[in-house]
Amino acid sequence: MIQLFNVYKSFGSKNPALIDVSLTVEKGDFVFITGPSGAGKTTLLKIIFCTEKPSSGHALVDGRNLNRINDRELAFLRRRIGVVFQDFKLLPRRNVFENVALALEIMGFPLPMIRRKVHQTLRYLGLANKEGYYPPQLSGGEQQRVAIARAIINNPLILLADEPTGNLDPDLTMEIMALLKEIHIRGTTVIVATHSQELLKDTRRRIVTLNKGRIV
Amino acid sequence: MKITFFRYFVRQTLANIFDNRLVHLVGVGTMVIAFLIFDAFILVFVNLNHWTEEWGRPLTMSIYFKGTPERVVLESIEKELLHFPGVTIKRFISKDDAMETLRRQLGGKAGLLDGLEENPLPASLEIILSRDKTGDSLPYQMKTRMETIDGVDEVQYSQEWIKRFQAIMEAIKLIGIVFGGLLFLAALFVITNTIKLTIYSRKDEIEILKLVGATNRFVKIPFLIEGSIQGFLGGSLALIILFLVYITAITKVDLGIGFASLDIIFLSPQFTLFLLLMSIIIGFIGSTISLGRFFRT
Repeated sequence: MIQLFNVYKSFGSKNPALIDVSLTVEKGDFVFITGPSGAGKTTLLKIIFCTEKPSSGHALVDGRNLNRINDRELAFLRRRIGVVFQDFKLLPRRNVFENVALALEIMGFPLPMIRRKVHQTLRYLGLANKEGYYPPQLSGGEQQRVAIARAIINNPLILLADEPTGNLDPDLTMEIMALLKEIHIRGTTVIVATHSQELLKDTRRRIVTLNKGRIV
Repeated sequence: MKITFFRYFVRQTLANIFDNRLVHLVGVGTMVIAFLIFDAFILVFVNLNHWTEEWGRPLTMSIYFKGTPERVVLESIEKELLHFPGVTIKRFISKDDAMETLRRQLGGKAGLLDGLEENPLPASLEIILSRDKTGDSLPYQMKTRMETIDGVDEVQYSQEWIKRFQAIMEAIKLIGIVFGGLLFLAALFVITNTIKLTIYSRKDEIEILKLVGATNRFVKIPFLIEGSIQGFLGGSLALIILFLVYITAITKVDLGIGFASLDIIFLSPQFTLFLLLMSIIIGFIGSTISLGRFFRT
């Protein structure tokens, strides 16, 4: 599903963000990417999501070489990858329904179907009564769940989550993790980047640790 | 285009305009100024063109008589005139007719003429020469010939200064085309930057749309519609303001040069529509250029 071959990424500074990273994630895997702040976790997710391109090396996602992908192909690939950003990336002037519906609208789904799927997903995430709310009116946990709703509404092949519990209290953290596990059980490949050791305690999932841009 | 997309684009465009109404207002305001300068220039240009055509087309000649000509003299002059190509005899103006016209023109001040012991105005014959058939030298030949006829006092025609005027107009037209082109580019530049303001104010939104898998075209279309709407609004308002200024101007200003009175015309409906269409196209092109730059960076 995801293959990285000797990926090197530098932003021009002295210390490269990623050095010689090779990684394979199979379909249906649940992988934690961990490491201290600045280890390269977010850069690794950005490479997979193709918001950054490797300085050298190759990244293949769902069979596509990200070095050779054009804008249109990239847009279609992204529709198969759900992303939950650390800062949620919700549109503040659109309500919860509209934020979640966005992922379907860009694909040209008919409105009745969009309504049905959005209602269904929001209900699943416990946000049925928040449809008309705007992001600034929601708590951090609720915003995170809206971001997850938007990421999973298309039944993506891959779900990337960057510090999905970074801003949340322990109860909400457990709630969000439970959700991610449930999404995984439904067949989605999940990759979670986190620096929280608490999340990794007692987990039997695969853990990839990064330190100063290298896999250790 | 799928109906769902169409509905999305319309809804999105209207929502964007409403959400960013201040930026849009500034944008439309800037466009109004840019288009107004351009349209005003076009209006001046159209009028200059109109005056050249109006004055250049028929050439009028007046033959003034000493006293009142006898009928036989008048008929022989008319007969001779009709031998020249492109000549139409417009009318004979008797001394009394000339006085009556002058009284009408003076209106309330016509009483000034009551003190005159005799009518000093000459009788005249007005003729029109078609420019298509009249050579450049013919009016002069006619003038020389007519002035030899007994009873004819003087012959006047206005070709000399019209020729000079036309030469000036030709130069103005050339300058106009260059200047108009520059104004068009300036308007496009201003509009492009104005639209860029709108696009940059929604940078985050574009980023999110792209992250969830929107194609560039999907992101761009609402902006292109917005640009066109801005162009339409800016163009319409500029034309409305220009029309109001025109209405005020023609009721207050009376332009006249010598014997000729200059009537100011407004742009024809077809030309108005053309300018409006141009405004929409400029809005669209402006958006395309701004989006192109934005997506490259």
